[in-house]
Amino acid sequence: MTRHGRVVAEGSVKKLAPRLLMPVDVPTEYSGNVAQGSAPGVNKMASTSALISSPDFRQEVLRRGGETAARCYQCATCSAVCELAPAEAPFPRRQMLWTQWGLVDRLAADPSVWLCHQCNDCTTHCPRDARPGDILQVVRGLVVEGLAFPQALGRLVANARTTWPILFGVPLLFWIALLGAMGQLQSPADFHAYDQIVPHVVLYSVFFPLSGLVMLAAFVSGWRYWRMMGVAAPRAKSFLSGIWATGVDIATHKRFGKCGTARFRRLGHLLLFWGFVGAAVTSGLLIVAIYLQGYELPLPLLHPYKLLGNVSAVALVVGAGILVVVRITDRDRAGASNAFDSFFATVVGLVIATGILVELARVFNPEVPVAAVGLYVLHLGVVTTLFVTFPYSKFAHMLYRTLAMVHEQAAAPPSGG
Amino acid sequence: MERVGVFTCTGCGIGEALDIEALHAAAEDPKPTCTASHPCLCAPEGMDSVRKAVDEEKLEGVILAACSHRAKRQELQLDRAATMVERVSLREQVVWSHPPNEEDTQMLAEDLLLMGMAKVTRAKAAIPISETIESGVLVVGGGVAGLEAARGASGLGHQVVLVEKEDTLGGRTRDLRYQTPARPPYDTLVPSGLPDLVAAVQDDPQIRVLTGARVKSIRGQPGQFSVEVETPSGVESFKSGAIVQATGARPYDATKLGHLGYGSSSNVITSHELEAMLSRGELGRPSDGKLPSRVVFIQCAGSRDPEHLAYCSSECCGVTLRQMAAIHKDHPGVETATIYKDMRTGGQLERFYQAVQTQPGSLFTRGEVSAVEGNGNLKVHLKESLLGDDVSLDAELVVLAVGMVPNSADGEAIRALRDARVRSEKGDSEIQKKEALKVVEELKHNEGTEILNLDYRQGPDLPVLRYGFPDSHFICFPYETRRTGIYAAGTLRAPMDGAQAAEDGWGAAMKAAQCIEEARHGEAVHPRSGDVGVPDFFLQRCTQCKRCTEECPFGTLNEDEKGTPQLNALRCRRCGICMGACPERIISFPDYSVDSTAAAIKAMSVPDEFDEKPRILALLCENDALPALDAAALARTQWNPWVRVVPLRCLGSLNLVWIADALSRGIDGVILIGCKHGDDYQCHYVKGSELANTRLGNLQETLTRLAVEPERVKIVELAHDESDRIPQLLDEFADELEELGASPLKGF
Repeated sequence: MTRHGRVVAEGSVKKLAPRLLMPVDVPTEYSGNVAQGSAPGVNKMASTSALISSPDFRQEVLRRGGETAARCYQCATCSAVCELAPAEAPFPRRQMLWTQWGLVDRLAADPSVWLCHQCNDCTTHCPRDARPGDILQVVRGLVVEGLAFPQALGRLVANARTTWPILFGVPLLFWIALLGAMGQLQSPADFHAYDQIVPHVVLYSVFFPLSGLVMLAAFVSGWRYWRMMGVAAPRAKSFLSGIWATGVDIATHKRFGKCGTARFRRLGHLLLFWGFVGAAVTSGLLIVAIYLQGYELPLPLLHPYKLLGNVSAVALVVGAGILVVVRITDRDRAGASNAFDSFFATVVGLVIATGILVELARVFNPEVPVAAVGLYVLHLGVVTTLFVTFPYSKFAHMLYRTLAMVHEQAAAPPSGG
Repeated sequence: MERVGVFTCTGCGIGEALDIEALHAAAEDPKPTCTASHPCLCAPEGMDSVRKAVDEEKLEGVILAACSHRAKRQELQLDRAATMVERVSLREQVVWSHPPNEEDTQMLAEDLLLMGMAKVTRAKAAIPISETIESGVLVVGGGVAGLEAARGASGLGHQVVLVEKEDTLGGRTRDLRYQTPARPPYDTLVPSGLPDLVAAVQDDPQIRVLTGARVKSIRGQPGQFSVEVETPSGVESFKSGAIVQATGARPYDATKLGHLGYGSSSNVITSHELEAMLSRGELGRPSDGKLPSRVVFIQCAGSRDPEHLAYCSSECCGVTLRQMAAIHKDHPGVETATIYKDMRTGGQLERFYQAVQTQPGSLFTRGEVSAVEGNGNLKVHLKESLLGDDVSLDAELVVLAVGMVPNSADGEAIRALRDARVRSEKGDSEIQKKEALKVVEELKHNEGTEILNLDYRQGPDLPVLRYGFPDSHFICFPYETRRTGIYAAGTLRAPMDGAQAAEDGWGAAMKAAQCIEEARHGEAVHPRSGDVGVPDFFLQRCTQCKRCTEECPFGTLNEDEKGTPQLNALRCRRCGICMGACPERIISFPDYSVDSTAAAIKAMSVPDEFDEKPRILALLCENDALPALDAAALARTQWNPWVRVVPLRCLGSLNLVWIADALSRGIDGVILIGCKHGDDYQCHYVKGSELANTRLGNLQETLTRLAVEPERVKIVELAHDESDRIPQLLDEFADELEELGASPLKGF
């Protein structure tokens, strides 16, 4: 073990470094053996021979609205009030300290950052208004950006505050150009179904490859993250061993339920989650309906597939509505909104709104197909934005939080000592 | 005093609980000139009736048998100089604390009245000192506290002489560019206010500033100090009424901080050295003059460390915050990091702390510095940091926030040194000379440290407490020192920051003004403020044992060559410690003497053994124990009716003859309740309760010889707020005595 030995999770930290402006020569050592002591979170990290803070990282935190982190004086009220923090590795006090010091590698490899559901109990109890809940959100944004593949896309989404016209515009223009070239941008006579405008085969040929690319990008980021966590805190069990419990937890939002003060937000999120699952299942079933069952589109309103789709839509609307109401009425708990946050919220909102309008336009207003066509193209545009930005926007919490939860399940039991 | 009137108040339940006529009838020997009762003595009509009686009956003294002497002071006042007033506490000590209309309660009231009568008839009228009193104030030290004291005293109408040893005013903070904010929102540096303060003092026609000057000698007493000051243009002599010493503090010697890298690397500097750089506007590393990219501050450098300064200097956190903010302001881009044990930011400084914390480029972290390594570029190693690991921090400049050491002189040690030197030359025996030389060696470091050069028998400077801060009562009367009329202010008195030192200067100035005013009326200063009686020494019988001159906590007494005490009455605080010290019992106050208290003790009834009414004498310190007893009475707590309370000005005024008298009369036990003594003493007169303890130790032996159980005399420490404890103490003592049985001396 050399004194200034390189970090084992070399790749990930090095990749993080350029964007997060962390000095690359951080002489941090990760040794395999666990230092004797109390908190496993730190023990398993390493014995650190020397550290220097990264003011640039702190600048970056500052730029993203995390200036309050500096106020923290480590009283640990936050860790004490947090319902989610495990007793053997409480957060977010330690994460606040790492943020102050700019220990980006520790933050990036720490699952606690993602185990937080930002109920902001810590923020409301903080005696110095350091807003730990918001800081963790900022850190999550930094992690998403730092682990992004390819880097450029991560940077583009991270800067949504200024780049949003590109993020929305390019997919939209793509669809307009594609459909224009195919000569489909016109009101069909006798409008009754959307495959008159965009044949399903076109959808498949765009979305299937796109999904593949997105999955690949997400996989690369996820793989980096998984390795970083594993190096920082070796796991006793495999990935698969933790997957079932995590799946159950996600399906029921059980862990989120511990955030007593965020119960409305949890309800909203649960509805949104199942709404999306429902919508995805509906899409799958439609393919089954068309190609295996030979149905003609559109399906009748009372068809079970149609019903599932509509119930999902209602869940999405109600869920999103609850989240919006919570955000507006309880600003303190909702936390400070930053671009990372609001970009994703906007995309989801637009997907839901345009999706529903598209359906309503067809059912109630088939006489004016121009409106329906316009809305449909818009819908395709925002859905594409949602797809493409998945690994880079707040949507990526699906990936990282899931991995963090699986890691927690698979983690070695806390060493006695 | 022969013509004494007794006036009993029947209000507050006294009339219902006692037989007033029987009470008055009990006072037979000596018999009062007149007796009267009033339903409400504290009403204007009540006291008018007393005044009328004083005039008609030509009374020299009156007994107001009403409430405690601590209550209704204003309402129950008479012209002090003309008539002596003795208060008998029927309300607190009798009716509020004992069952009404019982034989024992009535006996208690009667005893208290008899004891009061005994005291008054043996008292003499106090004649106030009337001498020429100077109203000028001498301020020693021209730092923030001294400047503010000068301005304060001038504002109160006094002529001020300000003596500063340096050539310019301003003290330690002379060259500061910025100071921490004193106004809302308390988050930005402000320009130093010192130039304005210095200008205000220099422009004040009532203040004479002597720079480059030192105090050569101070003689006399409050209101009459004769001062000689050595200035560059010769010695100046003038009179002064009171003195404020504000000689400030100096930084702790950083050469002792080698473990923090001081001395081994030139890039490790103290906060004072950094201050000098910042005030010149040139922040650079001493090694190469380069602007450091990161400055690391180490808080508590040598402070709160038993090996160096055991105390917190209280200003260093603020100094570091100010310096960090100044660096951020004048040298943007330079990072600062502060390693602290605890950030201590009193008052509004907390807001400034938050502001500096959020300035980009600042980092605060808790930790213990284990070593500072390197020469040019430094590495600061931390242990027990919050990160949970041993961590090190790169630094280009390390600043040690060192604490402060008061610029005081240990007056008592200097005197001991001088005495030992004399003994070592003119000692009686070789052994004595050798011993004296040892003392000289031990105290030699005090040589030449004199500041005030007082002509006092107990030493040329203020006595100091632990760590060299002048001894005073830290909580109750902070500016007070053990030399009446000399007040300590600023960092000399206690570690503090500039804002506190400014306030301190004003506080001391006000105490000085008050002292001069009281001297003008011949009155004592706190805590017996307003007392005009001064001790009388019957010198024909003095044996020159020097106990009084040694034991007076306030250096009141000087000595002539033979060792005869010479009184400086205006220095006296009337505690009576000299009275307790004197083996010949030749010291007495007009209204407080060995004789008068002994008479009071003799006046109480001592029923014989078969009555089964034991008697307990309780000698209570009137500053702490008595208020506690009053508070217990206010809460209507009951205590044993055999107890008879005699308040003492200080337990240190205790003369052992009182205890001997009491026991020989057959009183079953004596309990003495005084203040806490030791390092954290609470005695208003500093050493009183401690002295009483020592004296009592000598008594125990005598008791055994007299075949009296030593357990019959007990001394207890009690704080002002222990009102719940004091009735318990009395009851427990009564139980203990009951177990011992009746005094063997009863009936002799």
